[in-house]
Amino acid sequence: MRRNGFTLLELVITMAVFGIFLMMLVTLSNEMRGQEKRYPVNFMSHPQVLTVLSRLRRDVLDAFGANPYPPSAGNGKYTQSSKTLIIDTFVGGGLQTVVWDFTTPGEARRISYNVGVATEWVARGLPPDFDANIDAVETPGHPYGVRIMAVDAKGRRSIDQVLQPRVHQ
Amino acid sequence: MRSQRGFSLVELLFALLVLTIVITTTLAVFVERTRRLRQASETILAYQVLANEAELQRRIPFAAVVPSATFNTDMGLLGAMQPVTTSIDVSSTQGGVKNVTMTIRWNRGQREAKLGIVRVDTGGGNLW
Repeated sequence: MRRNGFTLLELVITMAVFGIFLMMLVTLSNEMRGQEKRYPVNFMSHPQVLTVLSRLRRDVLDAFGANPYPPSAGNGKYTQSSKTLIIDTFVGGGLQTVVWDFTTPGEARRISYNVGVATEWVARGLPPDFDANIDAVETPGHPYGVRIMAVDAKGRRSIDQVLQPRVHQ
Repeated sequence: MRSQRGFSLVELLFALLVLTIVITTTLAVFVERTRRLRQASETILAYQVLANEAELQRRIPFAAVVPSATFNTDMGLLGAMQPVTTSIDVSSTQGGVKNVTMTIRWNRGQREAKLGIVRVDTGGGNLW
């Protein structure tokens, strides 16, 4: 009886060619994955993060006074720290003190005090590994800049923004 | 007894060719998607650095706004994109006005992000 099929040599050659092709794909994929790992999580593509940053930016731009960063607010409930920013702002014709509180992971709180009335706005949908830190930054003749940085769970910096109060006249 | 036949080598190679085309196409789509996502991330990182440098260039004394090959702000955000090159170009079309263009180039100069501001000499107030 005659049985047709592959010879061992045919099979080996075919599999070797296909194996080389698969190996190329795996190598390429691994290289891509390794390269992607170098990049931080793109927090800026998150709508809640963008909302928080744009609102914070506006508050800093509207900062008002010789030193617009009081040491505390809310009868001492909040104090300036790397997780809490307190700003005196000039908004809508009036002065108000704004507190930005990043102490709770995955949340950003904005509490504004205007003529004794506190108004709170909370962004609850931030990424859980969004770790924000606030720092002071100084440029020549302008000592009151704010720098907000955020790193992802692996400590890679994803956000680094310097905000400067605008000149009020 | 009935004859038992398998595939010929040509049939096998043809099947593998079809499989190769399918895998390659799928992977190409995946690679392109990843590349575009990475480019978007890079652009966002680059423009954060550009905006930070713009904040500085807006505030330094008017006379200190000069061309430079380096930024004065922290470039740590661009760590994953290294090597990057930067430049600050300053041109003036009329007295008391400077056009400042900040540029970041990366991916061997194939990609770049630019941000321009106009500085006006306000006599020391650093308004713009």
